[in-house]
Amino acid sequence: MGSKPKVAFFDFACCEGCQLQIANLEEDVIGLTNLVDVVEFREILTGKAPEYDIAFIEGSITRKEDEERIKDIRERSKLLVAFGQCAVSGGINRLKNNRESLEDVKKEVYGDSYNMPHLDTFPTKGVDEVVKVDFHIPGCPIDKNEFLSVVKAIALGKAPSIPNYPVCIECKLRENECLFDLDQVCLGPLARAGCGAVCPSNGVPCDACRGTVDNPNQNAMHEILEKYNYTIDEIQRKINLFGVKPEVKK
Amino acid sequence: MEILKISENDFMSFLDKKIDEKAEKVIGVVKKGSHFVFNELESSDKLALDYDVTMLPPKKYFQPPKELLLKYKPGNPESYRAVNNCDPMAIVGIHYYDLAAIYMMDRAFSEGERDEHYMKKRDNSILVGLYPTKYFKYRFAKSVVRDQAYKVADLMMVKMNGDYVVEVVSEKGKDFIKGGNFIENTYTLQEIDDAKNKVKDDQKIPISVELIPDYLGKNHGHPVWEVFGEKCFSCGSCVLVCPTCYCFDVRDEVELNLEEGKRIRIWDGCMLEDFAVCADGHNFRKEKGQRFRHRIYRKGKHLPEKYHYFGCVGCGRCQYSCAADIAGPVKVIKYMEDNKQGGQNV
Repeated sequence: MGSKPKVAFFDFACCEGCQLQIANLEEDVIGLTNLVDVVEFREILTGKAPEYDIAFIEGSITRKEDEERIKDIRERSKLLVAFGQCAVSGGINRLKNNRESLEDVKKEVYGDSYNMPHLDTFPTKGVDEVVKVDFHIPGCPIDKNEFLSVVKAIALGKAPSIPNYPVCIECKLRENECLFDLDQVCLGPLARAGCGAVCPSNGVPCDACRGTVDNPNQNAMHEILEKYNYTIDEIQRKINLFGVKPEVKK
Repeated sequence: MEILKISENDFMSFLDKKIDEKAEKVIGVVKKGSHFVFNELESSDKLALDYDVTMLPPKKYFQPPKELLLKYKPGNPESYRAVNNCDPMAIVGIHYYDLAAIYMMDRAFSEGERDEHYMKKRDNSILVGLYPTKYFKYRFAKSVVRDQAYKVADLMMVKMNGDYVVEVVSEKGKDFIKGGNFIENTYTLQEIDDAKNKVKDDQKIPISVELIPDYLGKNHGHPVWEVFGEKCFSCGSCVLVCPTCYCFDVRDEVELNLEEGKRIRIWDGCMLEDFAVCADGHNFRKEKGQRFRHRIYRKGKHLPEKYHYFGCVGCGRCQYSCAADIAGPVKVIKYMEDNKQGGQNV
């Protein structure tokens, strides 16, 4: 890219926690600014730019004006990276898509104000359901070191490397006892690794906050369900939490 | 081979002395939750030699899961400097099947271009073996391991009544026990042999190990690969915990300033979906069944044909750690025997 790439950060429907992870890079923020030229980042600086080498998108797409805005950003960006699980799959926001009536969802969340025009939302979409996404950085929230590795890879002209193997690998590396053996439902065998199995290592079953691997074997989940006396609903509820496909077949 | 004995208490005091001397790191088996792992010892208190199996085999000390190979400055070919952390270590309580596996690893890493990162760690290590004292329901080592353990062990211990009988296998082992209260053995060879064979395996490979390469060759099209492949999560647990699996990936990591780089190698495994992906995205083993067959072929056909030993030591870790309950070679071959094609497999 010759001179330092111009980088911008944008947020859509989300808690902005993933941007906060970047703001939390501490001393690495300086290293980052040596590598790229941050031209837009509402959470930490003022300023605008007409076009970008890399646009980082946080959050899911839930409104018509969001769609128009993301399309406009896409047109002005050479590369577009969706970061954080909301941007990648819709994230927790996608839970509402499982409800029968979006109208009821709005009333429940916004009370009397539910009819305000800026709250006119449609079913949640990941960014790549609206525009072309060049790279995804999964996670709720993202891992800041993984974010840095993606920025470095792009700056060096390489494709970023995001793990495409399940969390079980990272549990084995940490020599954790399998949580299924402790009677807990864990999505580890389907979930995309890269977190260092931080939850299972602390006794908390995996919720697949980084989504699933490219080709999760959801049918094999049946074998486990039977073996450990779990219901399909129990697994499906967990899978739904971060808007992750696929559905467990009944 | 010299045979000595030492009381359990004296052995623990001996280890504490070794730990205090700090001539080498002393590593042993310790309890973690309800299972066991190899870990560096701070004192002999935590040592748990009465164990069934460890989560990971001791290979993690010779081929660490993430290992720094060299440092460099990007764009400067003169700047490449190998880094090898190979401080001396003694690993205490390795079961005979894991020793057999280390023998196989040694072959792989010393053949042709010697892999210095692995071999220097091996050169600087002392292996203290132990005959298992505890039953493990997935173990079938007796049906596959022959005498390889003694090719790498420096000492072999057999638990007797309140004592360890210690077989001094190498000069290195002899040097290591100097200063401990190791005395003349008073047990008969028959008593020692009985103690070695006290713990039985419930499982065994249903056909003779020597026949397996041919057997697998003739069953390339057996439905077992697809049937078991369908159930596989491609989670790679089976190959990660395997003491004879050594595949790795090599990556360069560059610091944010883009002026410092390091080359690392990390464990990889043939059961992972992207393992056989090459340039342009082609995957040589795209289907789960292909990967499943490859892993079993690797243990039961390719390695035996190259080295004349079965590439699996029967530790049972793969079966134990497989969420889908399909990984164990005993299970695979039993299925093939129960579902013979055209009436016979071989």
